[in-house]
Amino acid sequence: MIDWAAFVIVFVAALSGTIVVVGLYALGLRLLVMGGRVPVVVPAEFTDAITVLTPAEIAAAEKKAAKAARKNPLTARQRQLATYCAYACFALCAAAVLFGIYLIVPALHGG
Amino acid sequence: MQEATLLIVLVIALALFFDFTNGFHDTANAMATPIATGAMKPKVAVTLAAILNLVGAFLSTEVAKTISNGIIREGDSGILISPELIFAGLIGAIVWNMVTWLYGLPSSSSHALFGGLIGAAIVGFGVNAIDYGVLLSKVVFPALLAPVTAGIVAFAATKLAYSITRRYDGKPDGRSGFRYAQIFSSSLVALAHGTNDAQKTMGVITLALVTVGLQDSDHDGPQFWVIVVCAVAIALGTYMGGWRIIKTLGTGLTAVKPAQGFASETGTAATILASSHLGFALSTTQVASGSVIGSGLGRRGSKVRWGTAGRIGIGWLLTLPSAAVVGAIAAFIAHLGFWGVMVDAVLGLGFIIFIFLRSMKDEVGHHNVVSEVAASGEAVKIKKNPKPKRSVR
Repeated sequence: MIDWAAFVIVFVAALSGTIVVVGLYALGLRLLVMGGRVPVVVPAEFTDAITVLTPAEIAAAEKKAAKAARKNPLTARQRQLATYCAYACFALCAAAVLFGIYLIVPALHGG
Repeated sequence: MQEATLLIVLVIALALFFDFTNGFHDTANAMATPIATGAMKPKVAVTLAAILNLVGAFLSTEVAKTISNGIIREGDSGILISPELIFAGLIGAIVWNMVTWLYGLPSSSSHALFGGLIGAAIVGFGVNAIDYGVLLSKVVFPALLAPVTAGIVAFAATKLAYSITRRYDGKPDGRSGFRYAQIFSSSLVALAHGTNDAQKTMGVITLALVTVGLQDSDHDGPQFWVIVVCAVAIALGTYMGGWRIIKTLGTGLTAVKPAQGFASETGTAATILASSHLGFALSTTQVASGSVIGSGLGRRGSKVRWGTAGRIGIGWLLTLPSAAVVGAIAAFIAHLGFWGVMVDAVLGLGFIIFIFLRSMKDEVGHHNVVSEVAASGEAVKIKKNPKPKRSVR
């Protein structure tokens, strides 16, 4: 009566989907950093949970990121390749999410 | 006949009110994490959550079918469920929801709804009214397994995100880039909430329509206008609930790092979406809480505070039986016929007004504003900044 297989499906689907999406995005970030473009994303709004950053601190973080990028041991070509790979990772990540939504919406595949 | 019409209108109104409170209650589930990490401005986050709940409600109807067509035995082999019972069940669910909201007890709107309906059905038709197989396989087991699933998934995802982006040389790791990702992952959670929670109300309204013969029971999906009104009600609830959160923001949000927030939200969204697809009606609050705890454990130097985690768990276990008791009492009164239903309606309305007035008097604070999801983050203790070492992975 109880469909244990369905629980296994949910577990496997959730785990693999999350691993693919999070893994690709993290890999993309790593490649972006390798390519010399370190993203510095300042919180949109400061709450209790976030330490308030002053403009000086934000500028310092950006400067540190730029310095790290200049000292990059990779050649310009390698850096460019890493950046392209990073964009490819982000694109694949987005595609994985869209594919997941496509799978669960019956209206999209006539089922 | 006029009494029946009045009753069905009452049931629909009550169901939509439940849907509204559900959205009101659950905005924070989707949006507490991105607000806590600063991924989005609260106003933007709440508006986005409302829109995506609306969209999500249209995407899938599997969960609605579970409710309208499974748990309570209907038709030839089973019982003929009456709108009075659905009405009593809804009263049970709403009353329990309001009580837990006022006192800040962890609970689940979904389980309150099931509890109310089950209690009402048992009073009306005895213990055989419930299809326990469906109840176990579509409600009870998913309720137990989904938060654990989400927790394990979020744990693995957090470990993965941190290990891929970890740098031992102290150079910038670009982890603040996860803030951008969180805009999408929290949107997915809001969408998933629409695919699961809005469906529950659709299921109840469909069930009510079937009982009075306004809809053929063979046609098991909800009618289009039902989908539309439920989607609008939950979106409106989400939006209004969000404004309350914005007003009192900054009270006791647990510190969440962008990478952690992204991993836990992706885990939540994936678990809910997969479950919705198979028709499991689970509690989005519990799944999101499981993810937050799991992702907290995925960070280095973390430890579970079992006391806090245990309190959350007990609250969850209590929800279904408590709502069942309230639903049963309401069904008992409703059994007296039309006037019984009216007494129920007046009592229910009086109670809602009472709670509302009480809540106005109370200071809106940590206990009733911050979501249980954010609160469950406190179940994990994280030591400050342990330095990464190559040997310790």
